[in-house]
Amino acid sequence: MNFDTTLGEQNIFILHVEGKILGNAADGFREEMEQYLQGGNDKLIVDLMNVPLIDSNALGAIILSLKGYQKAGGKLVLLSPQKAVRNTLEVTQLTTVLEIYDTEESALSAFS
Amino acid sequence: MVETILVVDDDMDILELLKMSLESDGFKVRTATDGYSGLQSARLNPPDLILLDVMMPQKDGFQVIQELKESEETQVIPVILLTARGQTEDKVRGLDTGADDYITKPFDLREVTARIETVLGRTRPIKYINPLMRTMGDGFSEEGVQQLAGHLRTAAAIQKKLLPEKLPSLQGYDLAALLQSSTAVSGDFYDFIPLSETQFGIVLGDVKGNGIPAALLMVMIRTALRLLCQEEPLPASVLKRINDLLVRDTDVDLFATMIYGILDTQASTFTYSNGGHCYPLHRKNLHGPCYTNDGEKSQLEDFKNTRGSRESTTIDFLETGGMLVGAFDHAEFASETCFLERGDILLFYTDGITETEAQESLQPTETTSEDMFYGEERLVACLSENATLTAKALCQAVVSDLALFSGSTQPNDDRALVVIRRES
Repeated sequence: MNFDTTLGEQNIFILHVEGKILGNAADGFREEMEQYLQGGNDKLIVDLMNVPLIDSNALGAIILSLKGYQKAGGKLVLLSPQKAVRNTLEVTQLTTVLEIYDTEESALSAFS
Repeated sequence: MVETILVVDDDMDILELLKMSLESDGFKVRTATDGYSGLQSARLNPPDLILLDVMMPQKDGFQVIQELKESEETQVIPVILLTARGQTEDKVRGLDTGADDYITKPFDLREVTARIETVLGRTRPIKYINPLMRTMGDGFSEEGVQQLAGHLRTAAAIQKKLLPEKLPSLQGYDLAALLQSSTAVSGDFYDFIPLSETQFGIVLGDVKGNGIPAALLMVMIRTALRLLCQEEPLPASVLKRINDLLVRDTDVDLFATMIYGILDTQASTFTYSNGGHCYPLHRKNLHGPCYTNDGEKSQLEDFKNTRGSRESTTIDFLETGGMLVGAFDHAEFASETCFLERGDILLFYTDGITETEAQESLQPTETTSEDMFYGEERLVACLSENATLTAKALCQAVVSDLALFSGSTQPNDDRALVVIRRES
């Protein structure tokens, strides 16, 4: 699992994740998502385009981080999950509590 | 808790100085003036940390460390070496032997305190804060590891006992279930609960994570479910109450996905509620003229001729879903009923099955999710091909197909499978 960060319009961070997020890797994933919040940024886009698979630990990391951002009055959204990941989000109905976008532009516009 | 430091040095002045300084920092200090008495003191009553001089007559610091590392009681004690200035070789050798840090003489007393704090900060959580480790034995010594393994075996045995030993025999139905754990204890589970003469509760679930925490949560859910399903007639109400219980009583990142349903053998119905779990498969017998349904992606059809009259079957997903259980207090669940014809099959599974990875040689080079994982479609195909088998043989057929696909019989994740077939 690798991370890369880019800065979009309105100074919103986009966290690009690459690789499967399974087992203990979820801890690192959560730390990565929450470090922006700790740094005072309460808006984050998590790009899952290059993540072929997540497990329940990764779901837990997403739920906890989402709650953290919401508590701070901010927002965390997901970008371009692949088929298997999207399926997991749909079956667990996290799609009802998470905003998911297919393009960076639409994800960014969710914050304006 | 006051922590004890053992200072071993043959220089009495240094001993006194360190004793005074460390005591004023709030430590309890014991001293020894040579390697032998230092070792003896450490063995008799292991301190929290040892400050150890390298240059001592008879037994030097390196020998002392070596002997400390040989014994189970003393090998976990952190050691900081006191070395003479410029003795780089000593430092390297010391760290190689297993010292945690070194301090060069002459030293600044504040530096000594700072280094002790750093080393203790590293080792303290392991010793004091983790109560699980304390009750389960320390994880360092061979004895500790063996004890932990013993506890895990016991946990696995208890968990195995919680699974129904014998599946209930239901008039007109053939049941089978299977559980494969990737670790000693499993996060996946299933249960069959008799509700009345003709009604049986069936549950299949997957608790987040695996190992001991997942197993503990699984036991809690199973117990709650066994009690609640006697009170609540609707599966959705049972899931709602389990959800509320978990939200109230556990950490937010403990949750489960599960399906709970009631099989009614008199009405030939299955009424279920799904809490974020993989959609079960329903292989249906369609009587009368056959028809195709090309537009539906979730349907896979096979046809066969039976004595001239055409009989067709479809495989559908039971797609009535709901939120995963235990993470959100406002989660809603729905109940749905499906009718079971003669010969119909319901197949429940956990994601450890559909997310089984392909053999490396079969994996595409691109990192896409297609073909990398076993997936629902292959499971549908496997059910279709083996639909004439008994429930038990069908479970085995899925396991064999998974082994073929992954090139291994050892699962990476927990897997559970339940098959219900209405006899024809």
